[in-house]
Amino acid sequence: MSGIAQKLASNQKQVAISEFFEKNKHFLGFDSLARSLITAVKEAVDNALDACEEARILPTIKIQITKLDTKKDIVRMVVEDNGPGIPQKSIEKVFGQLLFGSRFHAIRQSRGQQGIGITGVVMYCQLTTGRTTHVRSKIANEPTAAFVDIGLDTRKNKATKANAGREIWYNEDGTGKEHGTEVTAEMKAKYQKGRQSVWQYLRMTSIVNPHAEIIFVDPEGERHHWTRVTERLPTKVESIKPHPHGIELGQLQRMIAESKDLNLNHFLLNNFSGVTNRARKELCQAAEIEGTRKMKSVKGDDIRALLESFQGERLFNGLPVKLLKPPTNCLSPIEEMLIKKGLSKTIDSRFVTTLTRVPSVTQGNPFQVEVGLIFGGGMAGDKPVEILRFANRVPLMYQQGGCLLTKAIESVDWRQYGLDQPGGKGVPKGPAAILVHLASTNVQFTSEAKEALADNAEVMEEARKAMLEMGRGLRKHLEKKKKMAKTKEKFELINDILPAIAEKSAQILERPIPELSGSITRIMSAVISESTTEWNKETKQTDVEIILFNYTSRVRAYTILATWPEKAGATMEKNETGGRKEALGVWAWKLESLQPGEKTTITYSLGGLERGDWTETEILFRGSQDVIGATKMDEKFLQEIRRQEQILGESGVVEPEAETDQKQAETVEKTDEPSEEKIEPAVAPPDGQRTLFGGDV
Amino acid sequence: MSRMRTPEETKAAMHEVVEEMYDRIVKGEPPTMTLPVRTKNNIGFDKKLGVYKYGKKKSIRDATSLGSAKQLLRALHVVEFIEEMLDAGKSSTLREMYYISEAWGMGKFGSQNESNNLAEDLEIVTKCLREDFKLRPEEDGARMIGNLTLRERNRRGEWMRINARDDVGDSGYGVPYNVELEKIELLEHDIDFIMAIETGGMFDRLIENGFDEAYRCGLLHLKGQPARSTRRIMKRMSEEWDLPVVVFLDGDPWSFRIFASIAYGAIKTAHISEYLATPSATYLGITADDIVAYDLPSDDLSKKDIEALNAELSDPRFADSWWQDQINMMLELDKKAEQQSLAKYGLDFVTETYLPEKLAELGLA
Repeated sequence: MSGIAQKLASNQKQVAISEFFEKNKHFLGFDSLARSLITAVKEAVDNALDACEEARILPTIKIQITKLDTKKDIVRMVVEDNGPGIPQKSIEKVFGQLLFGSRFHAIRQSRGQQGIGITGVVMYCQLTTGRTTHVRSKIANEPTAAFVDIGLDTRKNKATKANAGREIWYNEDGTGKEHGTEVTAEMKAKYQKGRQSVWQYLRMTSIVNPHAEIIFVDPEGERHHWTRVTERLPTKVESIKPHPHGIELGQLQRMIAESKDLNLNHFLLNNFSGVTNRARKELCQAAEIEGTRKMKSVKGDDIRALLESFQGERLFNGLPVKLLKPPTNCLSPIEEMLIKKGLSKTIDSRFVTTLTRVPSVTQGNPFQVEVGLIFGGGMAGDKPVEILRFANRVPLMYQQGGCLLTKAIESVDWRQYGLDQPGGKGVPKGPAAILVHLASTNVQFTSEAKEALADNAEVMEEARKAMLEMGRGLRKHLEKKKKMAKTKEKFELINDILPAIAEKSAQILERPIPELSGSITRIMSAVISESTTEWNKETKQTDVEIILFNYTSRVRAYTILATWPEKAGATMEKNETGGRKEALGVWAWKLESLQPGEKTTITYSLGGLERGDWTETEILFRGSQDVIGATKMDEKFLQEIRRQEQILGESGVVEPEAETDQKQAETVEKTDEPSEEKIEPAVAPPDGQRTLFGGDV
Repeated sequence: MSRMRTPEETKAAMHEVVEEMYDRIVKGEPPTMTLPVRTKNNIGFDKKLGVYKYGKKKSIRDATSLGSAKQLLRALHVVEFIEEMLDAGKSSTLREMYYISEAWGMGKFGSQNESNNLAEDLEIVTKCLREDFKLRPEEDGARMIGNLTLRERNRRGEWMRINARDDVGDSGYGVPYNVELEKIELLEHDIDFIMAIETGGMFDRLIENGFDEAYRCGLLHLKGQPARSTRRIMKRMSEEWDLPVVVFLDGDPWSFRIFASIAYGAIKTAHISEYLATPSATYLGITADDIVAYDLPSDDLSKKDIEALNAELSDPRFADSWWQDQINMMLELDKKAEQQSLAKYGLDFVTETYLPEKLAELGLA
């Protein structure tokens, strides 16, 4: 990513901006009139989302596209947000200056890794229409909003500023706007509909940002509204130091050159993640450099040797130096429940399953794969499924075929999971949409255009595993649906039809109505479970009821297990039947004796959830006789849950933030042996301070 | 068999069906209804009656699935409904019963076909006729023309004497749904045989050409697969007047089936074959030989035609060598022909050449 940035920044002085822009427009996202508009919207919206996230504000973003001149394809874009706003003196910097570096050193997940930011939009407008970009912004503690027109002096390659002033900013309803930013840009661009459109970009953005409210007014005046479905903001991500496995020579050279550390020992401990005191010693020995060497003297071959010991090419005691994995709290997955909500609000369907894998590491970079599958409802059944690809919450809309995420979908034989797939290859067909999200500190693209993810064995493996697990979910759902329909029929039979037969025949024959229990047992000859999961408006809890009927002629004993969203912070309430925790997210109740013809009811409520968070409870059982409506407990499934639980426990992702921080602090203390004094890292990890539209204040 | 049952007998027969269900529930078992299997695998030739009847295979409809349980409940509603009609001295059409079932809640019919089938089921298990149940079919009976005289009791209960040549218009005498003794009496005739015709076009052609008078016959329009009353009146005329019946149909697998239902009994109504079938009926044409002999314009057999012919090869009703030859020949020719293809040789060819030649083979012309 840093490649373009540096190229841009260094070339800026020699080459005219217009020339540079023209040459590189394909990877800047301005290669076609249609794509230019999407890119412009994308830059503005991404920045608005980032700024709101930073300021912990629930975003409301309005986008309006107007055609100004259809013949010449001149379009106006207005994007308004409710973010924190930009102080007046910073507006010019944010919009007029290219790429203020620090973000490119930041090792954490961020949206802004793509494109060159809003400055590119300002440049594009200037170059295609000669017009400036109007910015209006208000911060909360100032009474008025600042406004200014930003342009670029293409001869001097410098930002220009005109018509600056202050005004009171009124909302549509006449009230005063508290804070936010609005950008109005006029450019040569084309508004298109379909799979690659502003609409689709916003729709996808809304899916992965369920906390955002997005309003889009298209050129025809039609208003599209994607509502906010959760009040939960994405978790704040922490910056981490680079991991030795992910370092390249150039970066290492620069870090060493800029280092203010006392010596190599300090340098290694202070600037990298995953390097313990033991590892520090071993790395130095493997590289055959004294740890006490001053940084200034670490040059050329030393740097190469150090890199080789990082990468395990130089050995210690015949083995590569063991490093800790990088921490994974620098990632911000959307999380299963919110993906579910995001998908459900934008696509009408019958079934949604989502899955967030535990974080993993590739080449020193933490990453995490999330998938979602939505099935049934109004979607077309005979077309390829819709693929929704995302990298760090940014929709990927082009080059679907060449993308790793698409390949992961194609690598699964979907036929066994209930989707159509001619020959068991390629994108499956059916009434479904598949979402894949890669959250990573370093997203690798196939090209500078940043629309398709490059091949990577570990990411592929994770994505594939996630697909398989999700596929099993789909198959289970389809099987369950079939079974449920049958069970429902049986219940109708014994509850409605059979009593009617008894009554009617008795009436015709003028005899007493016969007792039905014997017939019922014979007809059902099974143990049946029924469960409901419903939102309770009054208590603001999710009520679950599980009923178990014994329609056999013998006494039965079972352990009934139910899934619940413990991972998402739900609490078990009013569970009068008691039971015990079986594993993370699985509760168990022992039912000792269920008499023939009897039923038992288990009820409980789940607290700490929002409406729509949890709508289906899976019921499992342990016992000899099959239970219709429940799945026999697969002990391997439990083992997998316990394994994941362990991983989560280790990485601390599941724990509340504060606790995690403390744990990490402890490990840092321990490794920080050589010097007690606090040493400021030489390459300052950016503190994440960013203004609304990218760049530093 | 043609004797109608009294309302009491009918009720008693129906109560047996209800009792089967009731007793099973009392015993703590799912209620059931026992029926003969109604496929070609369970029909056999009854030597005494000269027709095909259901064999001994029974199927038990029990209430262990929702579909069957609903059928049982519907049967009970139908029994109750019939009892009400018997008590009130009313009757209804099957279609009316279908609409009345709207009020039966869970016991209502999903389609008209369901109600028709259930009425048949009840006939079969009770050995009653739907006339006993006071249920009328929707299907209208055939048209008849010829010098034959009968007596029909009209709505006012008066007997009307009708000659099917002199007292009717061009469309002929319409056969009512009930052709039993209390409704129709066959009085006298001056014809040598009865000819049953598949299509309306051919029926009208023969009338226009005066064939009924020229060849001293009664013409009967079957309207495709003949209704029960059509088959029943053919049977009565054949027996009571001792008249030969010849059947003139298209030359295709479906016409063979029509003939089988007329002469041997239909699979669906094998429980009352002896009451509906005319074992002495003869297939006149169009035969597979005719297609070749008269060089008739023909169509290729469709996939369904071929399937039907193959099914007929294993149907006990077509087991004799003449039918086996006809069916195999049609399969070999891979052709079928319509009655009206005879018009290739002019409008009068059928009455002046084809039919006289075919009837001559039977000694009827």
